Formats: sequence, C-alpha cells, structure tokens
Amino acid sequence: MTQPLLEVQDLRTVFTTKDGIVKAVDGVSFELLPGETLGIVGESGCGKSVTALSIMRLQRPGKILGGKVMFKGQDLTRVSEYEMREVRGKEIAMIFQDPMTSLNPVFRVGWQVAEPNRIHQGWDAKKAMTSAVSMLQRVGIPSAASRARDYPHQFSGGMRQRAMIAMGLTTTPQVLIADEPTTALDVTIQAQILDLLRTVNKDFGTATILITHNLGVVAGMCERVIVMYAGKIVEAGPTKDVFANPKHPYTWSLLKSIPRLDEDRHEPLKPIEGLPPSLVDLPSGCAFHPRCSFKVERCSRDVPALLRVGETQLAACWVTQAGTELKGA
Amino acid sequence: MLAKYVARRFLASLVVVLGVTLITLVLMDRTRGTYVPGIDLNPALRPEDIARLRADLGLDRPFYIWYITWIWGVVHGDFGRSMIDGSTVMSHILDRLPNTLELTGTAILIGVLLAIPLGIVGALRRGSKADHTMTVVSVAGFAVPQFWMGLILILIFSVTLEQHGLPWLPSSGAFSAVNGGDIIDRIEHLVLPATVLSFFYISTWSRFIRSSMLEVLSQDYIRTARAKGMSDRRVVYLHGLRNALIPLITLVGLELPGLVSGGLVVEVVFGWPGIGKLAFERALQYDYTTVMGVTFFATLLVIAGNLIADLLYGVFDPRIRYA
Repeated sequence: MTQPLLEVQDLRTVFTTKDGIVKAVDGVSFELLPGETLGIVGESGCGKSVTALSIMRLQRPGKILGGKVMFKGQDLTRVSEYEMREVRGKEIAMIFQDPMTSLNPVFRVGWQVAEPNRIHQGWDAKKAMTSAVSMLQRVGIPSAASRARDYPHQFSGGMRQRAMIAMGLTTTPQVLIADEPTTALDVTIQAQILDLLRTVNKDFGTATILITHNLGVVAGMCERVIVMYAGKIVEAGPTKDVFANPKHPYTWSLLKSIPRLDEDRHEPLKPIEGLPPSLVDLPSGCAFHPRCSFKVERCSRDVPALLRVGETQLAACWVTQAGTELKGA
Repeated sequence: MLAKYVARRFLASLVVVLGVTLITLVLMDRTRGTYVPGIDLNPALRPEDIARLRADLGLDRPFYIWYITWIWGVVHGDFGRSMIDGSTVMSHILDRLPNTLELTGTAILIGVLLAIPLGIVGALRRGSKADHTMTVVSVAGFAVPQFWMGLILILIFSVTLEQHGLPWLPSSGAFSAVNGGDIIDRIEHLVLPATVLSFFYISTWSRFIRSSMLEVLSQDYIRTARAKGMSDRRVVYLHGLRNALIPLITLVGLELPGLVSGGLVVEVVFGWPGIGKLAFERALQYDYTTVMGVTFFATLLVIAGNLIADLLYGVFDPRIRYA
C-alpha cells in the first residue's frame, strides 16, 4: 500500500462562543494519498472547512485541542509557527470559496500570484513575475502577460478563481486544499474550474482535498470521499461504492434528496427531515439519530465509532454495523 | 479625463466660494449695527468724521454693493486693505500664514505618525489593557475642550514648573520677542500648542485606524495571505495596512483646511500669531476686508483638501476611476 502523504488523526478543533463550546471538528481521522483527489462533503456547518483550516493551522479563533496532522514525518499541530509558514503556500496550498473577496483588491493580480515564490524561494520580483505569468497562462488566462498587470476587480469571477489556483500552484505544492472552489461561481464557469482542477491534478501530480457540499462535484472529481456530519466523519470510502451503496443513513438520505431528471416532474422533493443539530448542544448518542429513519434504541445512547462496513467502506452507524441494509422510502 | 474631472470640480467650487463669502459678509453686516471699524481707536472723532469714515469704507451702501466691489477687486487680485490698520489684507495673510502652517503642519504630522501605530496596536490587541487605556484616552481626546486642555498645560508646564525653578515651556507666542527666533526657541514655543492640537488628531485618527484595521483583518484576502505562508508582520503591515489606510485619506484630507483655520482656538489660547487668531480678532472689530480675505483662502483650502483627498483615493485604491 502506498504511503499516505498527509495523515489526519483524531483531530479536534473547538470554538469558544458565548453560548458554549462549539466542537467544530470532533475526532476526525483520514489520510490523503499522493496524487489522489479526496472529497469531503457535508452540509454547511458540519466542520469540513474548519478541518481544512486546521490542517493549515489557520483555524483562528478556533483552537486545536488534540490530534495529529502528520505531513512528511512531522506533526503540523506541533511544529513552530515559523516552520508552519514554510509549509503554508509552499508544501500545502489552499484556495477558497469566494474568489471575489479572496484576492487583495489593492495589489495587481500578477504581483499576488508571484508573491509565494518571493516569500518562499526568495526570488526577485522579475523572476517571480515571469513564473507567475506562465502559471497564469497555464490556468487559462488569455494574454496573461498584460492581464497580470490588472487588479482583481478587472477580472471576472472565473478568472479570479483561475488566478487563485495559479497562486496556489506557483510553488508546486504537494497538496492543494480547495475549499468550495466553485460554490460562488455560475454553472458553466464551475465546469471550467473543475476541469482545470482535474488537469492540475494530472499534470502536476498534486494531491487534492476538495471540500464541497455538491455531491455531483464529488462524483465527477474524487476517487475517495468522506462524508461529515456535526464535526465527525460518518462515512468514508471509494466514491463509486459510497454513492452506489451508502452505509450511513445520512449519506443515504443525502443521495435520496437529489432530484432526478428522469423522475416524474410532480414527484415531491425528498428533503432530510429536521434541521442540522446545534454544535453547542449535540444530541446524545449518534448526532444524526433525531433525523434518522432507521434509528434503533441504542442510537440515542451510544456514540458509534467509524468502523468497516462492507468491503471498502467505513461508517459510523449502529444499524449498518449490525448488518442491516439501508432500504425504503 | 482626470484634468477634466479636476476642472469640473473647480468650477463647481466657485459657487461654494461665492456662497461662503456672501454668508460671512451678511453675518457681519447684520450684526454690526451703527459701529464703524476704527472709531474706538480715536475718541475725538466728531459725527461728521464718522460719517466720512463710513463712506470711505463703503459701509454707507447696501452690503451687496460692497460685496460686488469686493469680488471685483478679488477677480483683479486685489484683496483690499484692512479697515483697522490700512495695510493690505494680503500682507497680513502672508505674514501670519507661515506660523499657522508651522503649528498645524506639525500637529497633523505628529497625529498621523502616532495614530497609525497606536491604531494598529489597538486592533491587534483588541480587548487588552493597552487597548482599553487607549480607548479611554481617545474619548478624553474628543471630549476635553482644547481651550481647557491648553490652559491646564500652561498651568503645569509654564506656571508650576517655573515656580519650582524647573525648566519650563513658554506659554504664548511663536518665538521670544527678545533674543529669540532661533530654531530651538521656536520649537520650545511650538511644544504646548502642537501637543493640544495633535492630541485631538491622534485620538480621532487612531480610533479610526483601529476600526478600519479590524475590519480589514477579518477579510477573506487576509486569510489568503496567511495561507500563502507569509509572516504576521507582512500580513498586517503590507496586506492589511495598505487597505486600512484608504479611508484615513479622507479624514486627513478634511483636516487640510485646518492647516489654516483648524487651530483657531489653540492659536487664541496660546497667543500664536497665526491666521485663525487674525480672523478671530478682526471679526470682533468688524474688519470686513481682512475677515473676507481669510475666509476666501480658508474656503479655497477646504475645496482643495477635499479634491486632494479624492485624487489620493484614486492613487491608493485601484478600484476608483474618475469620470
């Protein structure tokens, strides 16, 4: 088996609010293999973004309470701030959801794309700019040399996300974390950006963590997927297995709730009943049990562990771990 | 395009200059009563002398006639002579202006240089003891009247120190009348009034930088900057400050007219021979020409200050274009 590039073990990140302690990430473990694209899905507030930010140690004002992030033989939760800076933007790059607000409005795009190499490689302005321009060209910015002199507001949304990706890739990092990279873009642009991420993954061999709430994006992009709910991983496995045969009722309901084009138009939508739980005051036992249509008596009492269910998948569910198939309406 | 923009702004400002000077004249004219500037200088004046004086000064005619005559002179570069001492208004202004620029220029410079770092510290250590202390001091800075603070400083640093035989600071004037006028002497005179004036600027601007910085530091592009692996210092001082300073330009730009008039209270308290004190004294004496001349220049400076602030905005914020 290949050695994982990045290994997250039992990561716990909390936020202190006036209502209480929010366990945004509550014991998350997974690994990222070299060159793969790993999807993390879940609804808003399930902790997927905080997981990514915690890997980069950018979770402030949240606090990492425990766990390890093993990368190249060191635990990123323990290295000094200075060593962490050497990892950020150089070994692990991150791109964000909203390209409109993620670029600094007062600096030229080319300058911002060139900045990582100036910081990390100590390149002079000219050399860094040359490489920034060629990187902008590779991510599909037309007449990159002149567009590099533009300010972010002169770019369209899609072009800004391309510029963000170029900025992440100039240092040829080993890991790219893309936090909802297409959520703020319209559909045709989304497809272009996903295409670009796929190309980048192939050409540069960059392992990618793709965070999204869009199951369609995961299906098209990721070999493996992690499903998160209320700060925990509830299911993990190869994308095609998870989608074909979900082993956690939450995943099952998510997939059921997607409207299908080949269905009768008058068929009502099938949302997941109830609301996501408050992270301050989680339900006892399995956090999903109040919304779960398969729950048994044990679910409200004991927290299920993430265990192997079936050939390739992991699931944190008492029902499927006991061998029950998820079926029905 | 920029030249056109500036030209249009100047044309629009003509209306402002006319309005401000006209209102100033009406206010003086409506409150003057039968007083004629200069009559109290010579108690021996007879009624017919006063009538002649009034006619000489043009005060026997309606104010709008006086105004038109004055504007006519201004258009030809003639601001007239003072109604009190007969020397030209221009020579008064040129005489006083350097003193005012010295005082307010120093205060604004100190204000900017101290407000920026204090504001940044307040933002970075929000809620700390240092931040709370600065909040309290700043509120005092807006709230304490400048004349009161000036008098207290005089009491401490001029009167009390001298009484105890300690080195003390002069309380009045821009330089010593006897054996004075060298650079050390001028700086000694500058310390107290510049402190009072800059205290106000520091209070206002540091609060402003603090909130502007807090807002900027919560922006997505700051997170991006951190994710690129740069030092905190680079994040704050390059990516943050560059954005946080943009709104300060307006505030400082609006204080530029203060270069002429803003220090009025401070100038009066410290007997500083500047433009503000000149206007204040001459307004009490109904010296129309001098007051009108100072008003004219102060108005031009307000307009220029606004314009400069707007143009600097375009330099610092690439999103702004003039049309």
